Amino acid sequence: MEETLTALGAILASTLRNATPLIFAALGGMFSERSGVVNIGLEGLMLISAFAGAVGAFYSGNALVGLATALGAGLLFALIHAVMCITFEADQIISGTAINLLALGGTGFLMVVFFGSGGTTPRVASFELVRIPGLADIPVIGPALFEQSLLVYLMYFLVPLTFFVVFRTPFGLRLRASGEVPEAVDTAGVSVTRMRYYGVALSGMLAALGGVYLSMSLLSAFTEGMTNGRGFIALAALIFGRWNPIGAAVAALLFGLAQAVTFRVAQDVIPLEFVQMFPYILTIVVLAGFGGRAIAPSALGKPYRKE
Amino acid sequence: MTRSSTGRGGSVFRRVLSEAVGALLFPVLAILISFAIGAAIILATGRNPIAAYSALITGAFGSPAAIGRTLVNATPLIFTGLAVAVAFRAGLFNIGGEGQFYIGAITAAWLGVSLGFLGPIALPITLVACIITGFLWGAIPGALKAYFGAHEVITTIMLNFIAINLTVYLALNPLRGSGLVPGTENVAAAARIPVLGFGLGRANLGIFVAILAAVVAYLILWRTKRGFQIRAVGLSPGAANYAGIPIGRNTVLALAIGGAFAGLGGGVEVMGVYGKMAVPFVANVGFNGIGVALLGRNHPFGVVLGALVFGGLFSGAQEMQFQTDVPLSLTVVLLAVILLLVTATRLVELIFGKRARILASGTRPEKGLGQ
Amino acid sequence: MVEARARDNGPGAKAPKVLEMTGVTKTFGPVTANDDVSLVLHRGEILGLLGENGAGKSTLMKILYGLYKPDSGTIYVDGEEVQIRDPKDAVRRGIGMVHQHFTLIPPLTVAENIVLGAEPRKGGALDLNRAMRETEVLSERYGLKVDPRARVADLSVGVQQRVEILKALYRDARILILDEPTAVLTPQETEDLYRTLQELVADGLSIILITHKLGELLGVSDNITIIRDGRVVDTVKTSETEEGSLARLMVGREVLLRVEKGENEVGTPRLVAQGLVVLSSTGATAVHGVDIEVRAGEILGVAGVDGNGQVELAEALAGTRLVHKGRVYLDGEDVTGLGADERQERGLAYVPEDRSHKGLVQDFSLWENNALKTYDEPPFSGRFGRIFPKVMRRRAAQNLKAYDVRPSEPDARAGALSGGNQQKAILARELSGNPKAIIAAQPTRGVDVGAIEFIHRQLLEQREEGKAILLISLELEEVRSLSDRIVVMYDGRIVGEVGPDATDEELGLLMAGRGSGVGER
Repeated sequence: MEETLTALGAILASTLRNATPLIFAALGGMFSERSGVVNIGLEGLMLISAFAGAVGAFYSGNALVGLATALGAGLLFALIHAVMCITFEADQIISGTAINLLALGGTGFLMVVFFGSGGTTPRVASFELVRIPGLADIPVIGPALFEQSLLVYLMYFLVPLTFFVVFRTPFGLRLRASGEVPEAVDTAGVSVTRMRYYGVALSGMLAALGGVYLSMSLLSAFTEGMTNGRGFIALAALIFGRWNPIGAAVAALLFGLAQAVTFRVAQDVIPLEFVQMFPYILTIVVLAGFGGRAIAPSALGKPYRKE
Repeated sequence: MTRSSTGRGGSVFRRVLSEAVGALLFPVLAILISFAIGAAIILATGRNPIAAYSALITGAFGSPAAIGRTLVNATPLIFTGLAVAVAFRAGLFNIGGEGQFYIGAITAAWLGVSLGFLGPIALPITLVACIITGFLWGAIPGALKAYFGAHEVITTIMLNFIAINLTVYLALNPLRGSGLVPGTENVAAAARIPVLGFGLGRANLGIFVAILAAVVAYLILWRTKRGFQIRAVGLSPGAANYAGIPIGRNTVLALAIGGAFAGLGGGVEVMGVYGKMAVPFVANVGFNGIGVALLGRNHPFGVVLGALVFGGLFSGAQEMQFQTDVPLSLTVVLLAVILLLVTATRLVELIFGKRARILASGTRPEKGLGQ
Repeated sequence: MVEARARDNGPGAKAPKVLEMTGVTKTFGPVTANDDVSLVLHRGEILGLLGENGAGKSTLMKILYGLYKPDSGTIYVDGEEVQIRDPKDAVRRGIGMVHQHFTLIPPLTVAENIVLGAEPRKGGALDLNRAMRETEVLSERYGLKVDPRARVADLSVGVQQRVEILKALYRDARILILDEPTAVLTPQETEDLYRTLQELVADGLSIILITHKLGELLGVSDNITIIRDGRVVDTVKTSETEEGSLARLMVGREVLLRVEKGENEVGTPRLVAQGLVVLSSTGATAVHGVDIEVRAGEILGVAGVDGNGQVELAEALAGTRLVHKGRVYLDGEDVTGLGADERQERGLAYVPEDRSHKGLVQDFSLWENNALKTYDEPPFSGRFGRIFPKVMRRRAAQNLKAYDVRPSEPDARAGALSGGNQQKAILARELSGNPKAIIAAQPTRGVDVGAIEFIHRQLLEQREEGKAILLISLELEEVRSLSDRIVVMYDGRIVGEVGPDATDEELGLLMAGRGSGVGER
């Protein structure tokens, strides 16, 4: 019995670890896509900020400095995407693809510049586990939920906050409106361009948190290509969660759980590869199932040009 | 594009030439700008850009071995570039070249072994099978789009990861080989695609299969009823519908034909270069195919040129890193910059004026993801 | 329809001017959309702005709302000269606009839509409760019943329009512009709308009502300003006018040309529709049981105001839109179940009303466009699905010459041609195949006089050769001068048939749904 409980606790903790970076990136993707800008560059945004965070933490020895550099890098790359998509009306898919490539090539290049070779950085300062007294003593779920990195607590906080911002503030209303009927936002005297810039910028910083979690929490170093498709899984979570912060978080947890369970108990029963397919298959099913009805923001991917 | 003053006959050549120059102008410009940006980056890291670029060019085209490497790199990119270009002509964005390539590769890795007893005859059978599996895999997002309204960009991305995981599973479990490198068994030597020789290293006849594929793509698009329909649907769904051309069926077929090219590419890679499907297998050929297609303005012959540029960049980068210490990842950065430049419609307009918008045409479908 | 207004001439001359536009001119390239337009709106007045499609009404209103910048002219609000740079400026000046195509956000609630851009706040948060309260207060005050919690997507079009009006009122609009507000409404909803407008003006608002449906203006407006070809033709008191003279003012353009039309020998019915019911793209019924018979050697004209089901009728006959009920016969054969391609192969030509998005693939060359329908037939195609561009190019060159398309170079991109030449290129494709029946929908829309003449001559030639021609046009003069018989479409129905010598007044009344033969609904 106790063994089972321990295992459950471990699975829960591992689910959270798997899901946290996905949730950050999915929340980021949501801001961008709710404003009407497709962001398939989440993978690249996470990757570059994971690297920038590691560099900042390495040279300062301070995780918070790393966090700041990561946020800066995420923002910078997101702004490239924003300038391309919003100002230059570039194709958003291509721009996103380019962002991914830029991050892949950029991290590879800068690894050599900063650390002399590719591969993995030296160990860097990272966010230690923080035990919350009292709560962490709850059996089973206590250690799983409340003995985690600071970033996980930030995630607990950001999910409801994001929900609040998107659905309960004027900013959120304007953001959603920009992604649905930009003309309506324009005639209401609000700048669609500005709203979309905000959306994409926020996506960069939130994806950066996901990247930081990878290089400064899950690991204490940056490894080339360490995002390993997580940006795309986050995209899947975003779609599966129907562009809703709570939904996306639940989807990310579901994906994280599937992985955790396989790792712990079912590796022999279900091949790992099939578990890894799971988020993608679910996303396709959801997209096809909702087919006729538009579940994505209806102006998603369309550049807006004033008359 | 066409000058009405040009008559017929001998000036056809001139017309074709001026069209080609017009079409190439913008991509070449994009390449030059990205190289300039690259030079600035190299300078910023305290290295010599001229030395770096001359090493790059030597590494790409400076010797038979270099040319061989370039051809080996370019071959899969032609296939995945065609996968993007054909779909694009129907107004569709095929991000799924990667997955379609993997499906073709695993098909070849399987049949190349199990049909090995047939000797050289196994090769054509295997490649045809790769075309079929790629076609079917490509038809999935097409059908999802045409009959369920699921956007092809998302479904093809998702199908990439499904294909990669599926093929990795197959290569490591039912098809696992006995070699030291994880992956499938080696295909029968007699069934392999012959190498070219001439000191070109691993370069093989696959490059000719790729060029042939480009010609076939051209013929399909511009010399068949199906291609006529696909292009009409891509340029104007309204006019296609008016002319009685079915939009759904052509959506499925365009993605499926694209998938067939990528699938064949995977097969050629296995039968030509590696002789097996290793895990991990060549990565990013699908995504690079997008760049190749865009650089080639989604024209099959442009794709071949684009793939040679990309292929040369990749093989030259090794030499550049070796000689001048400039990290080879710089090439990926250059590719990203090229991609960004090629698609920025408004930027082109700002720099060259409104009329130049046509320069950037053929680089984007004007459709959103919302519906 | 709504009762005539009790106050005879509305607010009368004593009411102050709330809005005045003088000498407004706006050009788009070579096209002059507004030419020295002036109008006056008084406090408490409903001013009808009447004109055909493309007369320049919407451009004028977009200028007023800050969406376009006029080339010249002055705008006064409450006697004060103002610059309106963007919609924000317009809102600040108390101008509200209800666009023909609503600018509502379907997934959001009514209250959210109304407050967007001017949200009530509590702390940093959106005060949704206040938004709903304010929506309720407004909707009660003006009798515009809506549920502030409802999602706009779930509302009927009529209710959505109320939301649009509330949006303007929430921003304290005192001048309300409604662009073709009844185009999407049922008769009942139209009446409700007019009742609301009366209440609004009683409350001191002033309203500009843009429409091309002259009949509707009579019941509701105080004055009517008529625009034709970008110019103000006249401003009349509603009480001193009637439909016939309004129709004349609206459509009566100078007769460009009189076509010489020979005697025709009418043969057997070639294109026949029986009890045709067709749905529009939104799923509403656009054609309500139409019977039509076009015989060999005649031109049957279909007159009517735009948006009364003509497009859907043409598409259903041509096979590009599903027939919901009823049958279509081509030369005696039932073709209802056949697609556009098969009907074309059986001898049906179709010149669509939208040459940019339907008639031509803009980025195809002229020879590809010339083969847009016949690419799959010999001699243009052969075995193994091959097509023969050389043959296509050669045929195109002949056709382009025969139909005087300039440039006649088959390799030219279709989109690069002028409107008139594009239309000729379509005609070249459609008519060169020696069809049995021809559907020509607005064949001369937006083309120059030379091209009009050419196209008319071609259609008459086809008539003499014994083709059956269905001519759908919004231009009365065109319908009258070409047709042997004229039917008028109103609200998806054929409401009357007249001869080519029918007067403007007769046709105008039928087009307004007020013909003698039309039952009042």
